[in-house]
Amino acid sequence: MQKGNVTLKLSEAKKNSFHTVEKIELDLKVKRRLQMLGMTHGTKIAVLNKKPSGPMIIKVRGTRFAVGKRFCDGIFLED
Amino acid sequence: MTELNIAFIGNPNCGKTTLFNAYTGANLKVANWPGVTVEKIEGKMNYHGHTFNLVDLPGLYSLTSYTMEETLAREYILGENVDVIIDVADASSLERNLYLTLQLIELGKPVVLALNMMDIVEERGMEIDMHRLPEMLGIPVIPVSARKRTGLDILMHAAEHHAGRPHDLTEHHHHEMPRLEFTDGENDINVRLTSKHHKYVMVYSDALEEKIDLISAILKRKYPKIKNLRWCAIKILEQDETVMKQYPVDLSGILEGSYETQIINEKYDFIQEVIDETLVNKEEKSAFTDKIDSVLTHRFWGVPIFLAVMACVFFLTFTIGDLLKGFFENWLESFSSGARVALSSINTSEMLISLIVDGIIAGVGSVLTFLPNIFILFLALAFLEDSGYMSRVAYVMDGIMGKLGLSGRAFIPMLLGFGCTVPAIMASRSLENRHDKLRTILITPFMSCSARLPIYVMFSKIFFGKYAVLYAYSMYLIGFLTALLIAFLISKLDKKNNTADLLIELPEYKTPNARTIIIYVWEKVRDYLTKAGTTIFLASIVLWFILNFGFGGKTGDMSQSYAAQIGKWLVPIMAPAGLGYWQIVVALISGIAAKEVVVSSMAVLYGISNISSPYGMLSLGELLTNSGFTALNAYSMMLFCLLYVPCIATIATIRRETNSRSHTFLAIGMQLGIAWIVSTAFYQVGSLIL
Repeated sequence: MQKGNVTLKLSEAKKNSFHTVEKIELDLKVKRRLQMLGMTHGTKIAVLNKKPSGPMIIKVRGTRFAVGKRFCDGIFLED
Repeated sequence: MTELNIAFIGNPNCGKTTLFNAYTGANLKVANWPGVTVEKIEGKMNYHGHTFNLVDLPGLYSLTSYTMEETLAREYILGENVDVIIDVADASSLERNLYLTLQLIELGKPVVLALNMMDIVEERGMEIDMHRLPEMLGIPVIPVSARKRTGLDILMHAAEHHAGRPHDLTEHHHHEMPRLEFTDGENDINVRLTSKHHKYVMVYSDALEEKIDLISAILKRKYPKIKNLRWCAIKILEQDETVMKQYPVDLSGILEGSYETQIINEKYDFIQEVIDETLVNKEEKSAFTDKIDSVLTHRFWGVPIFLAVMACVFFLTFTIGDLLKGFFENWLESFSSGARVALSSINTSEMLISLIVDGIIAGVGSVLTFLPNIFILFLALAFLEDSGYMSRVAYVMDGIMGKLGLSGRAFIPMLLGFGCTVPAIMASRSLENRHDKLRTILITPFMSCSARLPIYVMFSKIFFGKYAVLYAYSMYLIGFLTALLIAFLISKLDKKNNTADLLIELPEYKTPNARTIIIYVWEKVRDYLTKAGTTIFLASIVLWFILNFGFGGKTGDMSQSYAAQIGKWLVPIMAPAGLGYWQIVVALISGIAAKEVVVSSMAVLYGISNISSPYGMLSLGELLTNSGFTALNAYSMMLFCLLYVPCIATIATIRRETNSRSHTFLAIGMQLGIAWIVSTAFYQVGSLIL
């Protein structure tokens, strides 16, 4: 799963941190939807907000999205 | 005289409906959250002597559809009767909007790109190269501002000019094409320039182009009549179900699974290139939105702030609304007595006077006097919806909703339910999975809609005096908690398919637009007036008849009337809830026509011409108290009204949206059952304590 460098889940990312998308491991439908919104390999993600229960507010390609915990668990970032 | 069919399509919340309103003079609802429009709306405009048929479609992020309203938009755009597509893009987030644009261009139909919100782009100090952008995309690009109504004429001109001819790139692309570089995972691939660059806007990597050519050739042999081979081939590469079903071909050996990820990546690589070349000062000033968000979406304060905002909305509704209500009551009072005098002076028969004054004026008038409360409620909701807060509420509530097996997205329809249940249920279309949608439809009616407000105001004013506002507010809370509880129970009973998760765009905050607010509130007020003039008018007449006639013909004694017969029949069932009065039962039954009818029925039933005035309430209070109907019964009545079937229109909407008779009956049965159980439990326990 991890090649060399350690990958980080989006759900583990800290508030106000910046990352790059490595890969998405979710059901195909969700994965496609995220990709269509611009979350492709190498895209920069800014984590704007995070709640204890899991959902996060992120910024991808200039747009803010609220993303639920389960989705955040399936989005892997380059560390 | 030419007729043109023009479709507006674009990402959610980019201003399609605002643009549509500007062209057609329509007053469709717009707001600042994604997914406001869930239906296809058609309108006409006259453009220099030509009739243009405009179609406003629900927003979608891509031509691969996930939700009901996205499917609707996609099917329409793929259909035959679109002459030109106006792709509305939010210029302030051009990067994401261009994805759909590229897909639309690939369709091969004439596309014009309307860059909306250019005013915001300028405010932020961003600049878009309006020369290079159309050159790179090969389609006309027109800057507009739908809110400020600028650029509208030029956009239509471009649409008319461009219609009927698919983009011909040779016109635009006579320049030397740049070298394209794509990133495929780790390797950079330099794409060899082929003649395709003169034909298509977006040319994929060689590996993909080869496959596209191959599939096109196979498709062409099997289906010579296909109009857009390239698009179908790309869709087959993406394993698009609809296209694969429409044109089944055997491609074993050519395809190894889906190439969608690769296609998406390459599209975004191209978009990146376009953005780099055309967008200057990408560094946007979004500090304003971030600052507000740091408060409103705070990890701990988010939920309390939301509850406080809603408490504030209802407080304003009751207090300011009541101040204004006084004027309406005085007016109704003098109108009612004036009508009686005028009618008898022209020798109208006693019965007709009774029908008009005791039936129609009392019934319709009682509902009309609540207009100020309704007005304030919708004004407040309009501000919430147009500010950009709605999406945030979905985020803030996601934790709580998650425990109930729903995503925070489902909270938006619920919140809209405070206004009117019908559009709220329709808003559930934007939920991605059917289970979520059905659950949301089942629980939304428990959110107390504006039509129930007059009932609370009337009963709590009569029985709870200065604490009336608190008792009325408690209804909203109980309705909300009931909805959450039902959602929780359903998620416990039905464990499968708990796959929903939150994914929603959070738009930038903006100052609510005056025109938007006026349209929103006016439409609601007009609906209310229309309902008073139709449903409530008719219900009042019917009620007057069944109250004044019985099996023995015209009766002076209401307790012998048809209505009393029907009411008495149900009294034993309603007695445990403290509602065992035939008048109350009749009011509740007529309330199924529309909830306000409960109030107008009380007016007609008890013969009180101005029921919402202090005097009217006092007399109703006396009449009720004398028959043993106390504060306890009143609260039980409020509970029952909160929870039972909202209205005929809601039932019809549930039927339409679930497309299932059994779900509709389930919803009705559940509402009646819960209403009875809750009010009975309350009344029984209350009777023991008091």
